[in-house]
Amino acid sequence: MAILEIKNVSKFFGGLAANSDVSFSVEEGTIMGLIGPNGAGKTTLFNCITGYYPPSKGEIFFDGKRMNGLDPDKVCMLGMVRTWQKVRPLAKLSVVDNVMVGALARTSSLKVARELAMEQIKVVRMEHRADFIAGGLPIGERKKLEVARALATQPKLLLLDEVMGGLNPAESEEIIQLILDIKKRGLTQMVIEHDMKAIMRISDRIVVLTSGEKLMEGSPQEVVSNPDVISAYLGEAHA
Amino acid sequence: MNKSILKAVVILLLLSGLLAIPRYVESPYALHMMILLFLSVMMGQSWNILGGYAGQHSVGHAAYFGVGAYTTMMLMHTKQIAPWIGVWAGMALVIVVALAIGSICFRLRGPYFVLASIAVAEILRLSAINLTTLTNGAEGILATELPAFKIGGTIVTDFLTKVPFYYIGLFLVVLTIGITYLVQHSKLGYFFQAIREDQDAAHSLGISISFYKNIALVISAVLTSLAGSFYGIYVGFVDPPTVLGLDVSVQIMLICIIGGMGTLWGPVLGSLVLVPLSEALRSNMITEGLVKIGLVNADSKIGLFLKENLSHAHVLLYGILVVVVILFMPDGLMGFIKQMATRRKQEAV
Repeated sequence: MAILEIKNVSKFFGGLAANSDVSFSVEEGTIMGLIGPNGAGKTTLFNCITGYYPPSKGEIFFDGKRMNGLDPDKVCMLGMVRTWQKVRPLAKLSVVDNVMVGALARTSSLKVARELAMEQIKVVRMEHRADFIAGGLPIGERKKLEVARALATQPKLLLLDEVMGGLNPAESEEIIQLILDIKKRGLTQMVIEHDMKAIMRISDRIVVLTSGEKLMEGSPQEVVSNPDVISAYLGEAHA
Repeated sequence: MNKSILKAVVILLLLSGLLAIPRYVESPYALHMMILLFLSVMMGQSWNILGGYAGQHSVGHAAYFGVGAYTTMMLMHTKQIAPWIGVWAGMALVIVVALAIGSICFRLRGPYFVLASIAVAEILRLSAINLTTLTNGAEGILATELPAFKIGGTIVTDFLTKVPFYYIGLFLVVLTIGITYLVQHSKLGYFFQAIREDQDAAHSLGISISFYKNIALVISAVLTSLAGSFYGIYVGFVDPPTVLGLDVSVQIMLICIIGGMGTLWGPVLGSLVLVPLSEALRSNMITEGLVKIGLVNADSKIGLFLKENLSHAHVLLYGILVVVVILFMPDGLMGFIKQMATRRKQEAV
């Protein structure tokens, strides 16, 4: 069953079409990869899905509900949560307090929230950092903190915006394992990523965007063997 | 665990000390200073909830202070309604004003919010000057005679000395600090701080930004209005510049900024610095002190100059103090103390 359906979504900024007529759906329990060159409109699409921008045209259905025009907080309460490409830690709060803010979406008790938060901190293997101030963490741990905080809101669909951006190979590998772990627990994910090797390994299906439009959709094998995708990424000569 | 017990013991000792002061101290001046201190803590702590925890730096808190003060005083002056009833009217009115201001100003972020908050307070100040039939305009309202406070026919106090004001002030301080503590240790505190640290991130985590900003504003405004009412009753006089002026808003903020925003004890520390400082400046204590320790000759040019001008310079010294604090202790005195404590801990390790 499709948990997320995107139907003919377009987003215009003035005359510029950041997304035009994008349609696809994400099946429950799978990982959908979203790739495309810089400026292809991947993050804009995330912003439309999670309520930061209302789409100019088209419709978004999540779990059978129409999401157009819902505020980000409502979107989160319905079970869809995103992380940020440019990480947004609550810098002056400790790691556990950061994750507790996420957990408090589902409970009013600080005690319960703390327990839920510690669970998610364990998932991303940051127990030893729980009492550290988030603003002082290195980038790799900030990225993991984003994931833990998002997980703490108990989502049905997790949207990850370049969680491996700026990480070294060892850190990226850790994130890949984390994403696969999360999948094992039955959570649906949609992942924006630049690292092609990584996206090939984790995705069940991949959507390719270029200049705001959907170029193709398919399994990782279909995507890498498609000459249009290669030319979009590497230029005509390599296709 | 031991640490929190120690904290509780210290607070209880402090509180019983404060409760005992009027028994042993008879000087009205000393009690007056304490009451000013209480008032300052209330003002700073009220602002702290919105400015310190939720990160919405309102420079228009005089609006709530003034509405509270004016409502209580007007009801007492024109309708002979006792202030302990008028206070509730003030708080109710302030909720309406705060929600109206919130619905307009919270559409704006950062510096635009600051400007809008100043503008709203100025509108209220100008209204108070010009709506002469209601507010007595620039002349202000003088109402020094308080009715005696009775419970079931027995007079509890007739407000002839400063002692009842001292205890009311102390009660209100404990109330404001208590409410701040409860906010800090609840979902609200977490959501406020999340909004302060990163509004977009908070929004994505299921926090309704406008709802929680308005909650912070209402709590903050109601407590500020309470402080305003207390001020009006204690001083017995309100006029537009003293309760609705921009410098009232700035002073409210400074207490919190100097003490440490977003900390429970910051406004207390800020008040402990600012209240004695402004009193010392006003009463020319600093010049006298400099003369006494022999640094300045009272009859020399410098001595005469200081005596003549220092008491007028308290705004200037305030300004210098703020610059120093922002440069060297960006997190206020509380932040500075915490930093020192962690440094010492690290050195010990």
